[in-house]
Amino acid sequence: MGVMVVSALDLDGLNLQGPLCSPVAVPAGFPSPAQDYFTGRIDLNKHLIRDITCTFLVRVSGHSMDGAGIADGDELVVDRSLTPADGNVVVAIIDGELTVKRLRLEHGRVRLAAENPEYPDVVICELSELSIWGVVTRCLHHV
Amino acid sequence: MPEMGAGKVERFALVDVNSFYVSCERAFDPSLELKPVVVLSNNDGCVVARSNEAKALGIENGDPWFKLAADAKRTGLIQRSSNYELYGDLSSRVMELLGRYSFSQEVYSIDESWLVLRGTPEELVRTGAEIKAAVALHTGLPVCVGIAPTKTLAKFVNRVAKQNPALRGVCSWDTLPSAHAEAIMSRVPVTGIWGIAGRLGKKLNALGIFTIADLKAADPVVMRKKFSVLMQRTIMELNGIPCIPLETEVATKRQLIFSRSFSTPVTTAARMHEVMAIYAQQAAIRLAKDSQQARLITCFAGTSHFNDRAASFPSVAVKLPAPTADPVLLTKAATRAWRAGLWMASRTPAPVSC
Repeated sequence: MGVMVVSALDLDGLNLQGPLCSPVAVPAGFPSPAQDYFTGRIDLNKHLIRDITCTFLVRVSGHSMDGAGIADGDELVVDRSLTPADGNVVVAIIDGELTVKRLRLEHGRVRLAAENPEYPDVVICELSELSIWGVVTRCLHHV
Repeated sequence: MPEMGAGKVERFALVDVNSFYVSCERAFDPSLELKPVVVLSNNDGCVVARSNEAKALGIENGDPWFKLAADAKRTGLIQRSSNYELYGDLSSRVMELLGRYSFSQEVYSIDESWLVLRGTPEELVRTGAEIKAAVALHTGLPVCVGIAPTKTLAKFVNRVAKQNPALRGVCSWDTLPSAHAEAIMSRVPVTGIWGIAGRLGKKLNALGIFTIADLKAADPVVMRKKFSVLMQRTIMELNGIPCIPLETEVATKRQLIFSRSFSTPVTTAARMHEVMAIYAQQAAIRLAKDSQQARLITCFAGTSHFNDRAASFPSVAVKLPAPTADPVLLTKAATRAWRAGLWMASRTPAPVSC
């Protein structure tokens, strides 16, 4: 799955205004009493970005991550300053190209796993040869 | 700058991004790493930035691309069109990040910033290394850091850091062995110092001042009489006496440009009218944000640079009756100017700017 950096994320245009529900997970059973106190408007900048200096928006192309809910044309929020860990979806640099894969660290071996059986994983022998561009924190999926 | 007790000092740091435009392109296209890369001006005419590898090929800023293109295959030279929106965005990220390391910051240019740092000389070198690592991690851009008691010396050691890979991008005047500093100063031409341009350099050469060390040893009072107070300041700064303070006030912008490329060409007058109205309003928003007013408005448009046939770049400027930031007035002026400009362009062959 290739990626193209769409913008160096300027989500100003995404400031939603007006009466919206709070961005908290809604429990199926008992509603949170705190919801009654929520009066602010949603600022997607705050919601999606931990640190603006290291957050980038990239658009993906291809289908190798379909199983992770990342489809062709979706945008990903990428944090370049996070330390990648096993299980993270990452933007990795493979042969000079930016590629989205899931990082698997197993027995001293690195695997960049596709989440589509039709695509092969990329196995990297030496950890030092692994180059991670950033860690994906959100997928902006087109429905 | 004051000594602060317990071995602590206050110092200027100059942080700048190496080959800024090329590094921005590399941040988003890792395949450009270690290759000779040039960034071309707006209309892909000439070189405006070069990677070290491109510099090694003897390419200079201002070289026209058509002269380099023939040889590019053989040399492996890669060109990129300039993308100022991208550079501006990365610049603001770097500047914000740098601001976290200092209580006092002066953004000096798109890729350079002054900071004031406090600590022991050893601590400051560590801070410099931390800054370099943080910028690389957050943005993917390589920076060099020069730390010194004066701005002029900070510029100088920043250059030393750039040219000596062993320093890993950080050089401090306090920890640089003085014999080493003197050796470099007596080797680098006087025009290598901040504030001494080519013409001034020639005048200094006529007085027997060829290197930075020569200028450092000159009498500041005599030189002030021969040149100006600026020269006196430079000499004093070279000797470790700070004369040029941090300018933290944001310099007011002299002009504001709002321009975009279209994904599909605009072919009707009505659509262009709409576009001009929207752009004028965007410009008005920016003016209001900076509490500024416009005196003159220039409208320009151009055919695609990929369309060599019928190239046209009409442009028209109108003086506003009074300085204003009113979006209604600016929109009216822009759309009216545009109609007049279009009319002119249809009458005479439009001048092609480059």
